[in-house]
Amino acid sequence: MTGDVPLLEVRNLVKHFHVGGGLFGGRAGIVRAVEGVSFEIRRGETLGLVGESGCGKTTVGRCLLQLERPTSGQVLFEGRELTTLGDEELRPIRRRVQVIFQDPYSSLNPRMTVGQILAEPLMVHGIVVDRERRAARVRELLSHVGLLPQHAHRYPHQLSGGQRQRVGIARALAVEPALIICDEPVSALDVSIQAQIINLLEDLQAGFGLTYLFVAHDLSVVRHISDRVAVMYLGRIVEITDRKSLYDVPRHPYTKALLSAVPIPDPALEAERERVVLGGEVPSPLNPPAGCAFHPRCPIAIDRCREALPELREITTGHRAACILA
Amino acid sequence: MLHSAGVSTLLSVENLQTHFVTRGGVVRAVDDVSWDVEEGETVALVGESGCGKSVSALSIMRLVAGPAGRVVGGRVHFKGRDLLQLSEEEMRRVRGREIGMVFQEPMTSLNPVLSIGRQLTEGLEIHLGMTPGAARRRAVELLGMVGIPDSERRLTQYPHQFSGGMRQRMMIAMALACKPSLILADEPTTALDVTIQAQILELMKDLSRRFGVAMLIITHNLGVVARYADRVNVMYAGRIIERATARELYARPRHPYTLGLLRSVPRLDEPRRARLDPIEGQPPDLTRLPQGCAFTPRCAFSVARCSAEPPPLAPVADGGHVSACWESARLDRAAARSAAAS
Repeated sequence: MTGDVPLLEVRNLVKHFHVGGGLFGGRAGIVRAVEGVSFEIRRGETLGLVGESGCGKTTVGRCLLQLERPTSGQVLFEGRELTTLGDEELRPIRRRVQVIFQDPYSSLNPRMTVGQILAEPLMVHGIVVDRERRAARVRELLSHVGLLPQHAHRYPHQLSGGQRQRVGIARALAVEPALIICDEPVSALDVSIQAQIINLLEDLQAGFGLTYLFVAHDLSVVRHISDRVAVMYLGRIVEITDRKSLYDVPRHPYTKALLSAVPIPDPALEAERERVVLGGEVPSPLNPPAGCAFHPRCPIAIDRCREALPELREITTGHRAACILA
Repeated sequence: MLHSAGVSTLLSVENLQTHFVTRGGVVRAVDDVSWDVEEGETVALVGESGCGKSVSALSIMRLVAGPAGRVVGGRVHFKGRDLLQLSEEEMRRVRGREIGMVFQEPMTSLNPVLSIGRQLTEGLEIHLGMTPGAARRRAVELLGMVGIPDSERRLTQYPHQFSGGMRQRMMIAMALACKPSLILADEPTTALDVTIQAQILELMKDLSRRFGVAMLIITHNLGVVARYADRVNVMYAGRIIERATARELYARPRHPYTLGLLRSVPRLDEPRRARLDPIEGQPPDLTRLPQGCAFTPRCAFSVARCSAEPPPLAPVADGGHVSACWESARLDRAAARSAAAS
């Protein structure tokens, strides 16, 4: 993968939401959901985007699709800048970028059969106009995701959680996308089903040459599926590198704390394990702390951390962290 | 590990059966289940959605929503009484006072229009007959105990002014308020972020040690309980299919479902595998359970007998390790072989 243009490139993405100051005269404020995020995703790779709730990872995903218009910054998909395009111009691009959601139940129309749900995008985008051929394509999609032809006649409520997620994946595949944003795709599923869905996503990636942005909070799952990983805290990427470096030699104290908080299903190992339990909670993005946003919870913070915002700098080749002590 | 002599049983559930009447038929949500909790012990009830773990807890507290749901059999011995035989009046004194409760989503179990202080003092005044002044002092003390700083001011605030982690601390304070001997915690950290999960679990473990409170932790996450539980019960389709001390269960699982759960999750302490090892198939449809073992359709070890005859929960090793599997001996040999190979 040398020299070619990345499939997706995000440059200095910023998204602010204005809140309050409305009818009831609450104090107006700015939620700094995303504060200057940059990354790229190469064709065929999976970038994991991890962080706790409110860190801005879902907003980043929505800004890529232009479902939220960024406050500033650029989103280049296949070399084309998306933030300046109108809705009509975006339509063919939305076919190339699809989303799989956490809760397939709320994103599937309960009044449509699985067959209708899968046929709809084929009609809307004019991909398969002939009715017979559309039915054949629906059967093919079902088999790609491990469902049977008779599932086409069922309604979402007649399926289990894992089967519904398979339908969500089939719907994303229907329009033959290049990039799929997977937003917490397994966190609502039972443990025994999560592994099935992850294996399926990997098979489809290999089979169709898909590229994934995998947004999740579960660091064990992210390690399994990602080639590279970005860690977000309060609207910013604090560390980004390839999978092996991130898990073997994490450089940012927040990444280290996150890794240490992941429980290991082995009481003997857990008993010996030294745990960094972080104090405090994620501060509000309405009023982020000065300097490094992580300093109030950081076990190694020094005076300088309270003053200057650390830049995301290269520590070793391809391994960047935003910490002056890394 | 055997239970040392002198420790007595605090809660003992015997042959509990809870059924729900649905359009699809009768669901045996809890199907003849027995387990116990010793004084001061932390016991886990682990399983996936629909396995009956939460309904078990609701049955004990007599909070199963009727008329569809009903406890149809069994006994729940708690401090020498059968909770299922108590009057509603007597049961109200047990709830909150002798058995504290912590739920997954604290926002739905806290009253949004009452101040934090009032929600804490109410129980103290009703259950313990404290004066408003004494209750207030105890409330300040409780918030301090669960690590909520600035407690005087916090008491005047409302639940929406608390973060998720702070609300869960508040729930724990409420559960501890009347010095119960047992706390039932149903997925206490599932709705929280990883770093906050760690804080809450450490807090619960610390408080249970300091005050000698026994805990029943209900969860779907085997990882969460590894560090905190003394004994683990694994449930599947309304039954307990395996029980052992935590160390024994994770080191030598003797039921294919437990083994499957442990193998299917990616682990940070192990080298990354090229491919995950899922449990195949779908969770069981509780209205149409097979005649034999409910796990048979998904089981890699099943034999003809499994679909005909449900296996009883039987001893498989010392220390109270029991498993409901006809092939549990084969499972042990398979585990020994793979351990020798690695």
